[in-house]
Amino acid sequence: MNDLAALSQKIAALAATDVVFEQGARVISIGGEPGPLAAILGVIDDTILERELEFDADGRIFRVVAAGRRLRGISAVSDPQAETVVGETLSREEPAVLDAAKAVLTRACDAANRLSVRSLPPAPFGKGGERGVSAMGLAELWEVDVDTTPQPPFARFAKIARGAATAMIHLEEGEVLEQKGDVAPLQTMLETQVSAFLARQDKLRRVTEGPQFICLDSAMADGSSTTLALSDDSLVLLSHGADAIPALHRAWKALLG
Amino acid sequence: MVIEELDALRGTFANCKTLAFADLSTQMILVTDTNADLPREALDGLCAEAALMLGAGDKVALGETSSEAALVASKDALRLFVRAQDEPNDVLCCICTPELDVETFLIDARDRLNRMSRGN
Repeated sequence: MNDLAALSQKIAALAATDVVFEQGARVISIGGEPGPLAAILGVIDDTILERELEFDADGRIFRVVAAGRRLRGISAVSDPQAETVVGETLSREEPAVLDAAKAVLTRACDAANRLSVRSLPPAPFGKGGERGVSAMGLAELWEVDVDTTPQPPFARFAKIARGAATAMIHLEEGEVLEQKGDVAPLQTMLETQVSAFLARQDKLRRVTEGPQFICLDSAMADGSSTTLALSDDSLVLLSHGADAIPALHRAWKALLG
Repeated sequence: MVIEELDALRGTFANCKTLAFADLSTQMILVTDTNADLPREALDGLCAEAALMLGAGDKVALGETSSEAALVASKDALRLFVRAQDEPNDVLCCICTPELDVETFLIDARDRLNRMSRGN
């Protein structure tokens, strides 16, 4: 990717309004979407000025130092196997340290259902001349797929919903774009309920409210909840745990700006 | 008692603009708490929407079973419907602004609704 393309993608990302915050921390991965390590590298790739980035993976806190879209190193993590990595500046000339850093970060966050980040002032780290390794370089070395392509707002909401869903159907212009999990109950709802439900709701409201987010707690036979999200020709229907309702609503609010 | 609970809930959440305690079996609003000048038809519509979202009796419009709570959000509006734990026909209908802290509100609303429904 050339610099101009990278720059335009960064500007598009910065202009996006669908960022989800929880208690001041930016949520970057829910339910493994995007992959936690890819999400971390994505944040580092967005970091120009030197910052200490504090990640929270389901309550497990760890910190890295990043600058100039590079990871300088891991500054803090609670991991007895991380002694050789913490405080060390990463370098392509030290492949063993790079491998160890990947292992530490993977252990810290790979199984996280929710990963968030706070950007903190820089803390003293390494020597001034040591720059670390670029996020995209690490993605290549660590074989992590970092998706830097800006997506339409509804697609970004669908991605978050996918992470929270036990099952999900995503339709675009009536065609199935993606599915997750056991979609049979959702398929039945789509075929037998959704049109009539929306028609009844339109009749009640008497005004068109535009994009809609409808979440019904404990509406599925197994006790889970269901959410129907609609915008223009896009529709997402998912089942999920009740604990995902606030995050889904926050993601929806972020989509609408 | 009901009015005090509704007042307290709306007082706690500035983004909650209208509350209505309703009976789904008759689809009637029993008590309202609002500063807005809502016509009767709007309140009736709110109650009918509660029945549609939560399910009334054996009728479920969306989903496999009746719901305990529902959230309907658009760009400019947020409506929540909550069902009482012991008396499924007792529901709370809420008109809020989109900035509402849904998580905290639902916890408080459920507690107050259950107290109103039990009459304690």
